[in-house]
Amino acid sequence: MHIPDGFLDVKTAVAGAALAAAGLGLSLREVSRQVPPARIPLIGLGAAFVFAAQMLNFPVLAGASGHLVGATLSAILLGPSAAVLVMSAVLILQCLLFADGGLTALGANLFNMALVAPWSGYALYRLLRRVCGNSLRGRLMAASFAAWASTVCAAVCCAGQLALSGTVAWGTALPVLALVHIAIGLGEGLITALVLAGIARTRPELFPPTETAQPIETSTSVLQTIGFGLLLSLGLAAFVAPFACSWPDGLEWAAERLGFAREAADKPIFHSPMPDYQWPGVATNGWGTAITGMAGALAAFLIAWVTARWLAPASNDSKTTVPPAVSKQDERKSDNDN
Amino acid sequence: MNALEVHNLRFSYPDGVEALRGLSFTVAECERVGLVGPNGAGKSTLLWHLNGLLPEILPKEPAVTVFGIPLIQANLERIRAEVGLMFQDPDDQLFCPTVAEDVAFGPQQAGLSKDEVQQRVKSALAQAGACNLENRLPHHLSQGEKRRVCLAGLLACKPRLLAMDEPTSDLDPRGRRELKALLKSLPITQIISTHDLELVVELCPRVIVLDAGQIAAEGPTVEIFSDEPFMLKHGLERPHILLHHHPHPAGVQNNKT
Amino acid sequence: MTIEMASAGPREIRRLPPGLKLAGALLFTIVVVALPRRDWLDYGLAGCILLLAMIWGRAASWKLVRRLILLEPFAAGVAAMSLFQQGGLEIFLSLLAKSTLCLSCVLLLGATTPFSQILDVMRRRHLPGLLVTTLALTYRYLFVLHEEMHRLRRARQSRAMGRRHADSWRGQAGIIARLFVRASERAGRIYAAMCARGWKS
Repeated sequence: MHIPDGFLDVKTAVAGAALAAAGLGLSLREVSRQVPPARIPLIGLGAAFVFAAQMLNFPVLAGASGHLVGATLSAILLGPSAAVLVMSAVLILQCLLFADGGLTALGANLFNMALVAPWSGYALYRLLRRVCGNSLRGRLMAASFAAWASTVCAAVCCAGQLALSGTVAWGTALPVLALVHIAIGLGEGLITALVLAGIARTRPELFPPTETAQPIETSTSVLQTIGFGLLLSLGLAAFVAPFACSWPDGLEWAAERLGFAREAADKPIFHSPMPDYQWPGVATNGWGTAITGMAGALAAFLIAWVTARWLAPASNDSKTTVPPAVSKQDERKSDNDN
Repeated sequence: MNALEVHNLRFSYPDGVEALRGLSFTVAECERVGLVGPNGAGKSTLLWHLNGLLPEILPKEPAVTVFGIPLIQANLERIRAEVGLMFQDPDDQLFCPTVAEDVAFGPQQAGLSKDEVQQRVKSALAQAGACNLENRLPHHLSQGEKRRVCLAGLLACKPRLLAMDEPTSDLDPRGRRELKALLKSLPITQIISTHDLELVVELCPRVIVLDAGQIAAEGPTVEIFSDEPFMLKHGLERPHILLHHHPHPAGVQNNKT
Repeated sequence: MTIEMASAGPREIRRLPPGLKLAGALLFTIVVVALPRRDWLDYGLAGCILLLAMIWGRAASWKLVRRLILLEPFAAGVAAMSLFQQGGLEIFLSLLAKSTLCLSCVLLLGATTPFSQILDVMRRRHLPGLLVTTLALTYRYLFVLHEEMHRLRRARQSRAMGRRHADSWRGQAGIIARLFVRASERAGRIYAAMCARGWKS
């Protein structure tokens, strides 16, 4: 989902950069206030961890393989604001060290993968935990589905940015990116659940049932939630809303308000030589994508449910605390094999 | 004045495991003392107590005094300037992106001027024999080179006491020889915690044997190490260098506090 | 895939202040991105400027080209989506041109400017300390954790019965879990090491 340079026009790149800067600034502020100094290096190490984890290949079929993105995983393990910082560090380094993701597109990429992904994943995780329960099984299920959903959300924003720049027609961008990431997200959900189960097995205190026992962020402040919610809403309004609105008048109105002008208001804006993406037998364009989305959500939910039951056969949580690893010998002792 | 005075030091981990059970010993200035014992004896834990890394909340009545300064919260900064702790894993200690930055870290945190920091970096690297490593990246260094840089980083703070946790564990024979020569050349009080018993014989006239959080013996290295039954009892063994040495007829000096 | 780009570039270009190189790269990419779609002449001009910079800095190496070739398919793949609209071919070609130019520019930057220098620039520009510290620690430890991950993987492969088991999702996820635990413990020791040398957060 790393958008290269040249795929976003100036206005979209600037909008992405502005939102990313605001989100990063907010998360820096929150982390400085909430995270004790002893946990600060964990953010840098967390980012290094995500980097290394992303390099592991999960074979899919016939040579193809997927890998973990880790936004929701980071948010669950380290807290949402810390996760914003973690994913930002990963993306900035990927951009500068590996040219993975464009320099001008960095803002938009940060918005998608360092703001939308961790925060949507975390919010959904917290919400689902109320339904699924705080047992290990419940948490794994919530985490798995949240990871899937966060991947799809980020992909939708990415599609919006490409469409807004006129690079790819919305009618192509959304179905392709959404479809691809609905599938990829299933892998993300599964891997997230597997990793969390592995952590819960060896160091349950790193994946605690409640936020008060979190190793890093102690609580989610109201300001934090409102601030990020606002940023995410602004981003959605800028990148997705213009296309999600089905009325041509509504589209023009949004265009005017958001300050981008179209050259010829009379000519059709997106004219695809290919027919709009449709499910066979379904009349309107939007329904096709919506149905695929719902099917994907159902699949994600099923996977989450089955995985959670398989990984946590009995709903018990161990509450043992382990002494801090002072030396490498202590670390090896506590590092249980599975 | 003694460099280090430890009196009845106790420590338990949050889960209740008692790591240190009332340790008492002293280290004189410019002395080199070895600290040996089986795994889990509490050696690393003890070293972390020497500059206040443990316990998390320092007691009002300190068990540790460094160069006459009691180890209490108010003196933490001073004591950390006096004690240089070399960690077991050099990658834990070498946390800056470049060697120069890492060696400069201590002086910078102490608030020295830019010129003073530069000066300290240059002299510390020279002392540690690591001048050629100044512009290198830590992940490109060999273990021996990393150890030198770690040492330089400590020396830049001008400590009067060096505490080292397994300094030769990951070194090849040449690296070990070079580090040994380096430590011998430093006129600083040293406590060396190690499994490398030969190193202790070569560098440290005095040794403390730790087992299960208590001092099993304390005294002249050669005498203690030559007592094979004692060494075997505490998870150690007589080092080869002393294979033909016989223990002093007066026996080993035991210290039970 | 090698984890880092060559950061030992030729002398002349390395002597340039890193801030200048970073600003230059930013300016170049912004200008290229802002160019109108059909402005093939300007694309060519930008390409010439870049080529000159590479030749002057003696950074026009096979390594750079190989890197470019590796990254291009991704850009091309995404660009292919642009074909499905009016004037799609023109958009597709301009996307390829712009992305190749910018990609080469960033690769050149990476080949001639060590990341530690970019961190210095960030510190001097008074970017938030927490961000710079995080970036510095991430850069420092990504190689360490990468190495640890490989060790865990090799250990698992040497014990696994057959290839399928070695690459199993559960096994790989287990590696990631252990890596997180190790990273978490290492972070604690790094904090201790920072405090031991007087870190004032």
